[in-house]
Amino acid sequence: MKLRDTVRRAGRSLRQAKARTLLTSLAIGVGAFTITLSLAAGAGGKQYAADIVNTNTNPRELYVQPKQEQQGDPSAPKEYSEAPTINYGGGFSLKTFQQKDINAMKELGNVQSVTPVYNVSAKYVTRPGEKKYTVGVEAYLGTVKQEYAAGAGPKGQADGVILTDAYAKALGFASPQKAVGQVVDVVIATPLGETKTYPLTITGVTKKSALSALTGSGGLQVQNDKVADMYKFANTGTPLENSFIAATVLAKDESNVKTLKQQLTDKGFDAQTAEDLMGFIFQFINVLQGILLGFGALAVLTSIFGIVNTQYISVLERTQQIGLMKALGMRRRDVGRLFKIEAAWIGFLGGAIGSGFAAFVSVIGNPVISEALSLGKTKLLIVEPLSVVIVIVGLMLVSVVAGILPARKASKLDPIEALRTE
Amino acid sequence: MIEVSNVSKTYGHKKNAFTALKDINFTIEDGASVAIIGKSGSGKSTLMHAMSGLDRPQTGQVIIDGQNILELKQKDVDKFRAQKIGFIFQSFFLQATETVSDNVSLPLEIAKVSKRARKAKITAALEAVDLSEKARNKAKDLSGGQKQRLVIARAIVNEPQIIFADEPTGNLDSATGEKIEELLFGYNKNNGVTLIIVTHDPDLAAKCDVQIHIRDGQVSSIKGDKAVVKTPKPIQVKKVQ
Ligand SMILES: Nc1ncnc2c1ncn2[C@@H]1O[C@H](COP(=O)(O)OP(=O)(O)OP(=O)(O)O)[C@@H](O)[C@H]1O
Ligand SMILES: [Mg+2]
Repeated sequence: MKLRDTVRRAGRSLRQAKARTLLTSLAIGVGAFTITLSLAAGAGGKQYAADIVNTNTNPRELYVQPKQEQQGDPSAPKEYSEAPTINYGGGFSLKTFQQKDINAMKELGNVQSVTPVYNVSAKYVTRPGEKKYTVGVEAYLGTVKQEYAAGAGPKGQADGVILTDAYAKALGFASPQKAVGQVVDVVIATPLGETKTYPLTITGVTKKSALSALTGSGGLQVQNDKVADMYKFANTGTPLENSFIAATVLAKDESNVKTLKQQLTDKGFDAQTAEDLMGFIFQFINVLQGILLGFGALAVLTSIFGIVNTQYISVLERTQQIGLMKALGMRRRDVGRLFKIEAAWIGFLGGAIGSGFAAFVSVIGNPVISEALSLGKTKLLIVEPLSVVIVIVGLMLVSVVAGILPARKASKLDPIEALRTE
Repeated sequence: MIEVSNVSKTYGHKKNAFTALKDINFTIEDGASVAIIGKSGSGKSTLMHAMSGLDRPQTGQVIIDGQNILELKQKDVDKFRAQKIGFIFQSFFLQATETVSDNVSLPLEIAKVSKRARKAKITAALEAVDLSEKARNKAKDLSGGQKQRLVIARAIVNEPQIIFADEPTGNLDSATGEKIEELLFGYNKNNGVTLIIVTHDPDLAAKCDVQIHIRDGQVSSIKGDKAVVKTPKPIQVKKVQ
């Protein structure tokens, strides 16, 4: 029998057992739905993560830390080193950067600038008549895109500050708009208890978004010089007064980043690119997608038994038909092929139903999800046509494999025996 | 020419062994109409299956067109049946939910006849059995006689060289049965097709050129015009001119 005629006859047999075909397909459809959706979530998640990486980090930037000694056994004797360290006692210590390390970085080729990281924990932030709140202060980076509820970045304003809408509310502002232009007092304390008050003018209030959770900018942002000053003051008399926990190195060009990382590593520093820093997001997405795919695969596995069962029953029901076809000279191989194609049809139907429904769900679900997670216009579910094609073709193959045993049974049927059954 | 020589068929093994055919010998000329008659269980259907390449008896030869079909590979026997044999089985074996045309189309599809060629052949076959008007009907909606005519259409559609008919009138009333007989004999005479009818009806057998009587798996007698018996060589059966 020619392939075309076989396909046609297979389709006809399935149409004659509509309910059974549909139910078996639905079982596969569940798997197809889960797989398509997890692929969509993976694609959407990666797209979203890539957006975060692009807007929240500068691809030219490297985050550099001193290479820390293996802490290992804290009681083991350690060699003294000239490098500045913070000793926590108990044998634990943390190496820091000194100005000469910063200079060494500056001397490397391809480096545009080196900025020490000044992250300060303020004693508190407050304004007249309001409560005091602890807060972290960090440098405002113009390269990072932020969503503002009101106002904007400090630009040239030396005493400008950005705070989150949560802090604006806590500090008693009726609305983010009302906060802009107002003054807050940030109080920094030295370890010895000396304090210094920095009056800062609010230039912008940022919206809380999923991004802030990932990038960690939940406190105040001020100009780099201002935070450097706070840092110096906060660490007066400590080993950190003239040293830094980390520094950011800006490469001249994006293409230099990899070589620069190598150079920094060779110098004995621990350098991470923006990609490295964001790698964990991708890893997280991959793990999540893997779990979902696992569920989908499980559903497909279950449906395999459904196909085997359905096709076996079909072979039994159609013993006479098979016997007749074999008696009329249909080859074993062709009989087997007929049943495998029927299985493939079921797989196709299941794949199409499942992934079609997944596409439908993503169209309906995207606005809801984005709203719930306040992601703006980001789509978390992206159904790619290619993945739909792969899912359908894959399920057709799986179905054919599932159909092998029943097909073999059909092809081995003895026509005389089959035609004896009345 | 169909030469059957020393064909024996045993079912089962050892204690359960049952010999359904014992050393069958005869020859059938092309274009003859032959009746294989005998009581129920005598081995008529078994013989028909052996002669048509459906079954493989343990010993003997079935030579058709100089080729021993029992020596052919499975796929070649299948091809042989698809191209040269028309079957009418003891039951209709129609695809009830398929249309009349699709039922007739099946042997053509199996024989890998192209779609275009199929159309003409199906039309001709349905015309021959006077079922053209029912082409688009479902097979299950036909009457018993129409069903048997459809079965004949299916048997002749690929212009076989030999038609095997197992009890073609067994399930029909005498008037309808006669029509079917007319159809079969007419086709046999007009197209020079060898017609082998398995029956236990002596009246139908008498209408054939040759009657081969089977009893307990053995040929008990061969009658008919120009029937030549040569033993131990195959019994020669000639066609009536
Ligand atoms: N597969 C089998 N296993 C065992 N015995 C079998 C088998 N097939 C047929 N037989 C036996 O072989 C003998 C001949 O059977 P066959 O079907 O050829 O009879 P028949 O002459 O066609 O009878 P009927 O007129 O009733 O159709 C019977 O006794 C039957 O029981
Ligand atoms: Mg019989």
